[in-house]
Amino acid sequence: MFVERARAPTVDEVAHATGRPAAEVADAWQRLHEAHALVLNRYRELRMLNPFSAVPTAYSVQAGGRSWYANCAWDAFGICAALHSDGRIEATCPDCGEPLIVDVRRGSPDRSDLLFHCLVPASQWWDDIVFT
Amino acid sequence: MNLFRSEEHIARWLGPRKPGATIAVTKLAELAHAWWADRLAPEWTPHTRDENQAILDRLGLGGEFWRLPG
Repeated sequence: MFVERARAPTVDEVAHATGRPAAEVADAWQRLHEAHALVLNRYRELRMLNPFSAVPTAYSVQAGGRSWYANCAWDAFGICAALHSDGRIEATCPDCGEPLIVDVRRGSPDRSDLLFHCLVPASQWWDDIVFT
Repeated sequence: MNLFRSEEHIARWLGPRKPGATIAVTKLAELAHAWWADRLAPEWTPHTRDENQAILDRLGLGGEFWRLPG
């Protein structure tokens, strides 16, 4: 539903689509949250369905005539990978604010001059996944 | 986990903070493909820790920085 609608579904929407009780859907989301398969916010709404973001971020991805937000640069490429689609990633350099546009074709970026920096060590990624 | 124009921009953005790890955008695209290409498969289940560590290792992302928690 997230992919089709290009936005995060609510518990009620998923319950309606699947014919399951809303409480059951919410409990399933909580289990997936605890397994790091998705991230809920304090209201138990979808915050991340990695690599997709339920909220606007600095990384937008256009593919197949639709657009999504990614949680980070890694996930921006991950959206194209998950969709098995070419796409365009739009971001800005966090240092200077210069727009950064990357076209992804058959999994590869059309430019090689950019660098990816990961600040947090892998052992701590899930200590605060939103900050990571 | 951000994209930058150059090493100079990373250093300026970091300021006094300890640097993490930097890789080329081309390597990032490989990593993203290995990590997420199966995400929308109907039979998808979350990767295990060892499966994800194997992806990092295969792409040459070794050392303590890229070591997932056991």
